[in-house]
Amino acid sequence: MDNKLFITLTPGNTFIDRLTGKTKVRIFFLLIFILTFTWDIRIMLPILILSIVSLLSIKPDKKKNVAIIIFVLLMNLFNLFLTWVIKPNYGLEMVGGSTVLFRFTDFFIVTAETLWYFLVRLTKFMASFLLSLAFIQSITPSELAAGLHSVKIPYKICTIVSLAFRYIPDITRDFNNIRISMQTRGLELDSRKSSLFTRLKQYILILVPLIITSFDRVGNIANGMDLRGFGKNRDKTYYCEHEDTQGDKVLAPVVLLLCGILLTLIVLKILYKPLYEVWCPWI
Amino acid sequence: MSAVIEFKDFSFRYKTQNEFTLHDINLTINKGEKVLILGPSGSGKTTLGSCINGLIPFSFDGEIKGSCNVCGLETKDASIFKISEHVGTVQQDTDAQFVGLSVGEDIAFSLENDMVPRPEMLERVESSATIVGMEKFLKSVPYNISGGQKQKTALAGILHNDVEILLFDEPLASLDPAMGMSAVDLIDRIHRDHHKTILIIEHRLEDVLYRHVDRVILMNEGKILLDTTPDLLLSSNMLKENGIREPLYISALKNAGVEFTAEDKLASIEDLDIDRYKDKILEHFHTVKESETKQKNKKLIEVRNAFFYYDDYPALKDISFDLYEGERIAVVGKNGAGKSTLAKLLCGIIRPAKGQILIEGEDYLKYSIKELGEIVGHVMQNPNQMLVKDIIREEIELALKLNGFSQEVTNQRVEETLRMAGLYPMRNWPVSVLSYGQKKRVTIASILALQPKVIILDEPTAGQDYFHYTEIMNFICELNEKHNITILFVTHDMHLAIEYTDRAIVFTDGEMIGDDKVYRILSDDDIIGRASLKKTSLVTIAEKVGIDPEEYIHYFIECEKKERANG
Repeated sequence: MDNKLFITLTPGNTFIDRLTGKTKVRIFFLLIFILTFTWDIRIMLPILILSIVSLLSIKPDKKKNVAIIIFVLLMNLFNLFLTWVIKPNYGLEMVGGSTVLFRFTDFFIVTAETLWYFLVRLTKFMASFLLSLAFIQSITPSELAAGLHSVKIPYKICTIVSLAFRYIPDITRDFNNIRISMQTRGLELDSRKSSLFTRLKQYILILVPLIITSFDRVGNIANGMDLRGFGKNRDKTYYCEHEDTQGDKVLAPVVLLLCGILLTLIVLKILYKPLYEVWCPWI
Repeated sequence: MSAVIEFKDFSFRYKTQNEFTLHDINLTINKGEKVLILGPSGSGKTTLGSCINGLIPFSFDGEIKGSCNVCGLETKDASIFKISEHVGTVQQDTDAQFVGLSVGEDIAFSLENDMVPRPEMLERVESSATIVGMEKFLKSVPYNISGGQKQKTALAGILHNDVEILLFDEPLASLDPAMGMSAVDLIDRIHRDHHKTILIIEHRLEDVLYRHVDRVILMNEGKILLDTTPDLLLSSNMLKENGIREPLYISALKNAGVEFTAEDKLASIEDLDIDRYKDKILEHFHTVKESETKQKNKKLIEVRNAFFYYDDYPALKDISFDLYEGERIAVVGKNGAGKSTLAKLLCGIIRPAKGQILIEGEDYLKYSIKELGEIVGHVMQNPNQMLVKDIIREEIELALKLNGFSQEVTNQRVEETLRMAGLYPMRNWPVSVLSYGQKKRVTIASILALQPKVIILDEPTAGQDYFHYTEIMNFICELNEKHNITILFVTHDMHLAIEYTDRAIVFTDGEMIGDDKVYRILSDDDIIGRASLKKTSLVTIAEKVGIDPEEYIHYFIECEKKERANG
């Protein structure tokens, strides 16, 4: 099966892999929320390091991961560069200082505060990205559904999530088959031979049968689920949600700690409005 | 005996339709019976099944007259959940009903919905997986297992609920011949060992009769035509007129002029006393001379020692064969044997890693996919995956437009193609109103417009009953005979190979293990075993009577051809 989508279907055997979906989902969402609520690098840096360690610990496919990380990193650096072009003195707004390090013209200046802000922003983004990458590759869609359900999300929504993952490879396969059949009928998808606009138009030709056959399938799936009692009760149990492992027990207090940090951050945010959002060691 | 299913003057009309689909059904099925519900497409057999498992009226709304009682529940008043405690359904689409991300999880699905605690769930999953022989695959993901295994998983998923009735909707539709046999065998074992009431909805009569069936209900046009034993059904003449294919051995005996009586044990070739008909069979049998005419035609495609790998996994190993102009050839083998890879290779979607393919003597690497499309056309199994336009005419025009033909040539070719395909009167019809078989015809026509020399048809008869099957196959043969188009069928339907092809190429695990006349392939036990094919009942007759099976199959093919020629 071609798995280009970073989806893990069979659970691996590392420490993180063996955790229950419940623990994985809780820790992931807590960390992501913490990252959204703070601009403080003293909190974000440990999370970044943790993400890198987690990612390495689950022994993912090197080639695939390195490629996407480099791509995202470059896109971010480019984004920061554009931000600088538009607002070279952004640091004054966000950090509250303007120590000029280098001056191209009166407008295009490089300040220590802007650089600091960019560093913080990059840390924030890369931490969220690496964390998500580690999370996706260590959780199976079923565990994700079970985990979401454990945080009181209605099970019908959780099932939609896992069903989507279940049928993505099937739809990819259908898409490829349809594409192949259209290509033999003369559809030119080679970028050297037809323009982007023509190709986009041609992809629509592939989507029509794909959507129609997928709708047929949705009907069949729904019937199959009805026949096996889906939606019969207000709750359901999960086959994949195994008993807590040693790791889950160790991490239980960590979950509580993270909850505490998140709550503190939220409370602080409401009560205390700092002049400048980004903490900086020299200001 | 107590009745578990009782229809009384039952009629049903789908909300979206004007006509009733089921008319005045009166049917009683008793506990522990094994019943086959037989009928062509559109006969209402699947609708009858949906009435039993509660999908009607739960998922399909409509008008119900009369009564349908299942295990004491009146289905129009009971909830589908209540009914599913008594009726377990194995659906036709093995992929769509596999909602779990592993075999174990899928088996557990109904237990999860019943809120069974996990420790108990594990135990019940394990034990029902063991019944169907899937206990070693509990962790397998749906993408790595075969259609047969998916079906077993679905069966395991209803067995642990201790339902009384098991309903199988076209269980043989997506299985290769050998897998189909083991499915029929498994159903039979569960019937005997677990004392369930079994209902099988099918139109492949001979395959279901591989194991004993108590009763057959023949349906057509929403009515029950016959409710009888398999023996009586086979001795009647109602099969062909209702679009059901007779078992091959019955056709063979009829060809020999045998007339059946109600006392004959016809349901199983093993029980049938062939000796009684021996004289008649021998009297009619004669050796058919081998025709070599096709071999004299020119070579169209030569495949020379072709290899192909998916990543490092070899999908085709050292394949060599020739394809002659005007041939009809079957590519057979179980799923994953390399049949579709070969089709892709011939279309140029993928190219051989090693080896060579020559088209009319020239290396095909010089052609682009698009150029090859005008030489080799490919018709997919599911017409819905090929149809992109709203109007038939536009669909057929599409390939010509994409290939940049002038308006003049396009118009002329479209008209020609429409006439060839018998679609001319329907040229301005919307595609969406067509039946499955008509859509199939449109997809073939859409490929035909490019005037290819070879057409590859992927399972052309899948999902069609005998009547539509014959119709589409006759159309394809006409293209072959009148327009000299070479046809390559990718199929696991051996009936198709017997009736419509000259030669078969057999694949197993990426290797080509046979390339010969169909009657030789089908009498070769070694190939049959390795390619997951099924020994035809013709071989059994031949062995019992003492004729060489190869010659007997050949003779049978000739008889059928003559009969077809005479209409």
